[in-house]
Amino acid sequence: MKIQLKNSIAPLGALKKIFEHPKTLCYPEVKAQNVTGYRGFHINDLSTCIGCANCQDVCMNEAIDMIAIDVDKNPKNNSGCIPRIDYGRCCWCSLCTDVCPPDSLKLESECIWADDDSNRFLYLPKDKPC
Amino acid sequence: MERKTITIFHGPQHPGITGNMSVELELTGETITKARTHVGYLHRGFEKLIERRTVIQAFTIVCRICVPEPDPNEANFALAVEQLAGIEVSEKATYIRVMVLEMARLAAQLLWMAGQSGSVGLGTVGQWSIYDRDLILDLFEALTGGRVYHMYIYPGGVRRELPEGFLERLGALLDYLQKRLVEYDRLFFDNASFQKRAIGVGVVKSEEALHLGYVGQVLRGCGLKRDVRRDNPYFNYAALEFDIPTQSGGDVFARALVRRAEMRESIKILRQVIAQMPTEGAIMQKLPKHRKFTLPKEDTYVAVESARGEFGYYMAGDGSEMIRRMQVKGPSLIHGFTLLESLLVGEELSNVALIMNSLGICPPEIER
Amino acid sequence: MQNLMQHFEIIQKTPTLYALHVSIETLFNTLHHLRYQSDFITLSQLTCTDWIEEERFELGYMLTNLERNCNLMVKCFIGRDDVTVASVVTLFPQAEVMERELHEMFGVGFEGNDTLYDFALEDWQDLPPMRREFDTLAYVQSHYDFRDGRDDNLDVKEQIKIRKAAAKSAKEAQGGA
Repeated sequence: MKIQLKNSIAPLGALKKIFEHPKTLCYPEVKAQNVTGYRGFHINDLSTCIGCANCQDVCMNEAIDMIAIDVDKNPKNNSGCIPRIDYGRCCWCSLCTDVCPPDSLKLESECIWADDDSNRFLYLPKDKPC
Repeated sequence: MERKTITIFHGPQHPGITGNMSVELELTGETITKARTHVGYLHRGFEKLIERRTVIQAFTIVCRICVPEPDPNEANFALAVEQLAGIEVSEKATYIRVMVLEMARLAAQLLWMAGQSGSVGLGTVGQWSIYDRDLILDLFEALTGGRVYHMYIYPGGVRRELPEGFLERLGALLDYLQKRLVEYDRLFFDNASFQKRAIGVGVVKSEEALHLGYVGQVLRGCGLKRDVRRDNPYFNYAALEFDIPTQSGGDVFARALVRRAEMRESIKILRQVIAQMPTEGAIMQKLPKHRKFTLPKEDTYVAVESARGEFGYYMAGDGSEMIRRMQVKGPSLIHGFTLLESLLVGEELSNVALIMNSLGICPPEIER
Repeated sequence: MQNLMQHFEIIQKTPTLYALHVSIETLFNTLHHLRYQSDFITLSQLTCTDWIEEERFELGYMLTNLERNCNLMVKCFIGRDDVTVASVVTLFPQAEVMERELHEMFGVGFEGNDTLYDFALEDWQDLPPMRREFDTLAYVQSHYDFRDGRDDNLDVKEQIKIRKAAAKSAKEAQGGA
């Protein structure tokens, strides 16, 4: 196959992109919009959570601990426990939300958390109705 | 004058290497006299971990076997489990699966274009194609909730319903990509500097290609029309119209042209899927509970066509809820050892990255 | 295929997948026959499954035909300890790396393959890791630390029992008063 002169010149057409508006976001000022349905942090509706530990059982990363609840919000919560997630282990597969019988555990689209100590990434899901 | 041979490691931290692997090269001057592949820098032991997990738990790990295109893994896993457990999937779920696989193929080809162009020093192409890939990832984000690891194709169907207006968004993106492909032709595939580097480099002999088990673009670049989607159709590929592009050169450039044509075919398939997508129907079959999901004591082998060739899974159940053995057969094992080690001999050092990228070697699927 | 089915006891698993069980003595000759006398010229995968309760491994040679539309699994049971199988590198050059992997992960020897050095693990002295008696959890516990601060994890079943007992005794106390 012979290489032609026009094949050397045609790529220069890319130069016209200089006049286009940049595609990147100007980060701190402009932030990307949260997408509905994104698998971010957990939320747990404590008024419906029954503390059954199905989420703990299905989690293959053993990221979920069941810990004692301070204030009982749901009389049907027989164990008095609620899930807490170790975000050093979680892989956001959302199997825990799939198996939740009352559908109280959910993922929200919020997803940014920075910390300088990895041992602090034990996350108690926010109590939000879904 | 006496010629001296030196040994160097190309990788694992070399920008021209595909992922975390290294090639030990023996060089005489600039010419390679011997190459030996080393892997193990990314050994995460997936196959071992899966032995300790139930079927449902194992599902979330398989997508991590190949980072640039996780969906063929999910499709394989779902196919194998469905075959062993005897689960039928609804028509709508099948269409959604095909859509996800083709979108993943497009995204993987765009990512490959960034790597291939970077290996010849054309940085602009990479910036364009990564941006375009991100537009596909945006759609994945809306559909599955994840950008890279989708965890979406599930034994029994798919995990989420299509969001409102998704097919329209996809259609608009396809229109945009169709226009972009012409620009990519001008900037990259017809570019004299790429052609000069790629033509006649890394030539695979077509007479040994079938016997040695090469797959994907390596085969099609030597003029051999083999594609799992056509030879051994899964999902509903048998009902869709598409061509299998081939080239005769067998070199890096031929493989690039095959990929260019495949992007057009993927767009064609996606347009058919949009037109034929059923509006009604369940997306998920009812499955047994997590600890009660058992597989019979049988084994099977399933394969799908990934963006780089045949991707197969061997799966054996043992009557319990755990998977006894799941062995991954990615295209990279043979390409990264048998093919790469022989292709590099006689090449110049500067062509290593070029050849590796054109074979699409992905180390995580070698060492699983 | 019809011709092969007359010679061998081939089972059809799916429309495009066939399986054939052979003994370790006839393994090499069968593969040789298939490689040269039939369409199955490609070895696409070499699998090994550990059936520890039956004290045997199951080797599987996944052969693919010229048209790439049909797979044949040639399977063979072998012992678990100090077992050596004839290498098929002379028939299928790509088997070199597959055998290297199985040698490292299961400890299966392949006679005739002289490249059985390290594959993915470097200087591994322990048990071959894919054997089922290799305990991943024990290995992790002896080599790595777990994150602190997770000691307050409670057993839910225990908690339900405790709370039930507490409720019962509270009721009884009420009833007594």
